[in-house]
Amino acid sequence: MVRRRLLDLSINNSTLREVSLSESAASAADRVLDCAGMSCPLPVLKTAQAIKDLAPGQVLELLATDPGVEPDMRAWTRRTGNELLSVSKTDEVFHVLIRRVK
Amino acid sequence: MTWTKESPTKILYVHTHGIDDPGRCATPFFLASAAAAMEFEVMIYFTMFGPTLLRRDVIDKIGPKGDRGQPLRHFIEQATGLGVRLLVCQPSLDLNDLSLDDLIDGVEVIGAATFNDLAAAADAVVSF
Repeated sequence: MVRRRLLDLSINNSTLREVSLSESAASAADRVLDCAGMSCPLPVLKTAQAIKDLAPGQVLELLATDPGVEPDMRAWTRRTGNELLSVSKTDEVFHVLIRRVK
Repeated sequence: MTWTKESPTKILYVHTHGIDDPGRCATPFFLASAAAAMEFEVMIYFTMFGPTLLRRDVIDKIGPKGDRGQPLRHFIEQATGLGVRLLVCQPSLDLNDLSLDDLIDGVEVIGAATFNDLAAAADAVVSF
């Protein structure tokens, strides 16, 4: 899958990556934020920064290896009014899908 | 000096340890940064030995892991960059033979009444 390859490539790149809608499934993210290898609180700080670049309704996919990322992103989305769509784990990397609400 | 009305949640951190205990220097800044990223309004009040961590001649020389990690400046600027405000009081400056000019820019001086007022109005006060 094209999108799968994009995510794999992004593991070694800490910058935001655009994923074009034509290449991704309907549920896929508008942007990918790669925080693999970073420890707390960087995934939270970078997510808070990255979500501001999205329009309401768009989806951010956070990639992270910090073991606290799931409870942290549950708390962060609840407090900031954004929506946690899903958390999954593939090969030690958490994939967190967050929809910007407001 | 008061909390603004806009933020739904307010946390006041209190930092009492100084440069003699560098292992304790960074965590309050970590937590404060994360709180700011959660859209909380956040202040850190430095008292007892805490103001020594804000010395402009110190923040590049110490860090929580000594020479093996980021210097204190990194943690301070991460927090202030997210809007965390840094407070000291005059007696604590006196205790450490410091003046406001010895500290990094942007630190605000408050007194005991202000501290108590901020603490009473905060949703949480966390002391280190």
